[in-house]
Amino acid sequence: MARKQVGAMVQPDAFETDFWKQANLRKLWDDIIPGEPRKTIPYTLTREAIELYCAAVGENHPLYFDEDYARATHYGGLIAPPSIHILLMFSCTPADDWMRSPGTVNAGQSWSYNIPARPGDVIRLEARALDKFVKRERLFVVHDNVFFNQHGEVICSGRGWTIRPT
Amino acid sequence: MTTTFENLNAGDAIAGPQFAVSRESIRLFCDASLDYNPLHLDDEYMKGDFGKTNFGGIIMHGMNNFGLISRMITDWAYPLGAVHRRLETRWVKPVRPGDTIQPTGIVKSKQMTSKSRWVLIDVLVSNQAGEKVATGEAMVEFPPD
Repeated sequence: MARKQVGAMVQPDAFETDFWKQANLRKLWDDIIPGEPRKTIPYTLTREAIELYCAAVGENHPLYFDEDYARATHYGGLIAPPSIHILLMFSCTPADDWMRSPGTVNAGQSWSYNIPARPGDVIRLEARALDKFVKRERLFVVHDNVFFNQHGEVICSGRGWTIRPT
Repeated sequence: MTTTFENLNAGDAIAGPQFAVSRESIRLFCDASLDYNPLHLDDEYMKGDFGKTNFGGIIMHGMNNFGLISRMITDWAYPLGAVHRRLETRWVKPVRPGDTIQPTGIVKSKQMTSKSRWVLIDVLVSNQAGEKVATGEAMVEFPPD
């Protein structure tokens, strides 16, 4: 995927929506080493991306849309809904990341929230597989993910369980 | 009566939004989340088997359930001055275009710690047939005044 420099940030020119492309470059369950960091990409969260995410799940709270309203709250400005990490997981990882492998099935997730992400934040992900195991002939991986803002503050941290394609 | 940490009780119910699932809503979730896994897009691909499982057609993202539960929790917590702190979920049953799903919550317990106050909430997403499609637990902080 081609990228261009925008100030100090690296942004994808266009997100590759065909997850079959580069499928052969992605790690299989066999290749995944628990504890090894995944490659990640800093991502600038925009108001437009927040609004599109909100539209997809029907979020309509003014904290996400109405700057005057949000400024008058103790949040002091617009924020993203906590579950914005659903988008960040894909926007902060490259096209050859194995979370994109076709057939990856999400089995469960747990997330802890520290401070909200905000429009304009430059968000960084630290991620790795933490564990892998076989259960009832299915190939599981446990994922460990932490998102930080440009000040080094933790936005949220989460663990996911996926069943890997065979 | 205004809901406060003090007057919340185990068994209190929280109602979430109904959500109509369609091919369009799933496609919008792809665009919003950048998760273009063919599980959610490709009918031909979904005719195949996944190990012992055959889904029989495209399915909604599990994380769409997660987003709806999260929306229910924050919309409940913000007016109370409370903060959504944690959500854990498991997917029980696939959700398909044509389904209507709805998250609900039931207060399970309250916990005081040295610096704050916490409410644990059992959450569940049901489909139009009353079947559970996702279950989980949320934790909401009620910071002391």
